[in-house]
Amino acid sequence: MPQFFLNKRLIVLLVSIIVLVALIGFSLRERSKLSWPEQFLKDTAGLVQSLVSKPAHLVAGFFENLQDLQNTYEENKELKSRMEKLVSLEAQVQELEKDNKELRDILGEEETLRDFEPLQATVIGRNPDRWHEMIIINKGKTDGIKKNMAVVTAHGLIGKVKTVNQFSSTVQLLSAMDPKNRISAIVQGDTNVFGLVEGYDEEKKALLIKAIPSGVEIKKGQNVITSGLGGVFPQGLQIGKVIEVKPDQYGLNQTALVEPGADFYDLENIIVITRTIAQPSEADMAGEGEEEEDL
Amino acid sequence: MKKFLLPLLFLFLFLLESLFAQYAPPEVFGRNYILAPHFLFGGILFLAIYAGRKYGIIYAAIFGLLFDIVWIEIIGIYLFLFPFITYLISKIMHVLQTNIIVAFFVSLVGIALLELGVYEMDFLIHITTLDFMSFLEMRFYPSLILNAAFLLIAAYPLKRHFESFAESLRDE
Repeated sequence: MPQFFLNKRLIVLLVSIIVLVALIGFSLRERSKLSWPEQFLKDTAGLVQSLVSKPAHLVAGFFENLQDLQNTYEENKELKSRMEKLVSLEAQVQELEKDNKELRDILGEEETLRDFEPLQATVIGRNPDRWHEMIIINKGKTDGIKKNMAVVTAHGLIGKVKTVNQFSSTVQLLSAMDPKNRISAIVQGDTNVFGLVEGYDEEKKALLIKAIPSGVEIKKGQNVITSGLGGVFPQGLQIGKVIEVKPDQYGLNQTALVEPGADFYDLENIIVITRTIAQPSEADMAGEGEEEEDL
Repeated sequence: MKKFLLPLLFLFLFLLESLFAQYAPPEVFGRNYILAPHFLFGGILFLAIYAGRKYGIIYAAIFGLLFDIVWIEIIGIYLFLFPFITYLISKIMHVLQTNIIVAFFVSLVGIALLELGVYEMDFLIHITTLDFMSFLEMRFYPSLILNAAFLLIAAYPLKRHFESFAESLRDE
């Protein structure tokens, strides 16, 4: 009965499409944490990955060292010239820090949005399907990592913690397209301009800062840092530099294209940032209208 | 021992994809292209072609689920597409004769279908806003070339291995 089998196959296909839609719907909704089978699987996979990634790190490191050897001479020259500047800068920083501390003591204010504690972690895997730009790191709940913490490299912000398991966690990179991925930022200049980093332009490899009022003048090369106003990230993490400014669709606002300071590709050792200042509780936030930043 | 060889092989391919994504130097391939490795799925298609549809679909479903949970965190996309395309490919192979060149091209078609399917799904749920033409240029063609290169290298060893696996199944 070929007809019957054809129907059976059709039914299997339809049922699996329904299951597919249900599963996608289930996993797309806002989840505060993953279910335990998922966490268990991810942790197990993380264990295997960290076993594999160690020799891989070594091999990759060896080739990188070879590359480094090639231009040692020029780098050395450049570094020497920078060293001289560094010494005077260091003295300046120390003085300023002391000043800052004294002034703060006078004001009686101890914690700022700037304070944070760094936590080292190693990248043990990266999502091979390059749509959802995510990496997996070898620190988890037991190391004190929580959801939505900022993740940086030496060159700047790269993303935030998306999900936390016991011994590993997933970091969503800034280059991922996620409408929920918003970061409150400051464009530094004579007057600071506030904006929201939302979205990523894949063709220009630049982050988009939208909703900047059209009267404000922003120039190429201005620095962009996190503002700390979103409630999760500390203030002052480097994001990148402005490369282009263009008016938006209706001419009411402008959009700044920001070239990220950190390289999203060559990631090995990263730092997870814990903000030390107390965060307003959910109850305090309720009633103040929409909460939208950094979620 | 022989029983574990097959899962281990696929686990290796599963990890190899992640390692490739992490370490492939972007300078070599140009920063304007996104290369998505689908080594695991290439292996699964070869398994379906040489060791039978049943095994192909079982492995496709298991590793699709694993892929979704570990990498994507949206369950369903690969869990559905892996077995579905494996099924389609094994149907196509019924019509064609099984030799290694045909298997190579049909697997490549399967990987192309997977890329297109994932793009459409991600577009639907707003994971990406890339339009179709730039998707083709930035991602589709470079990824196909990458996976073709992988299949070229791996086709013969995979074929040998899966054929001996099918043989041992028949002997039992």
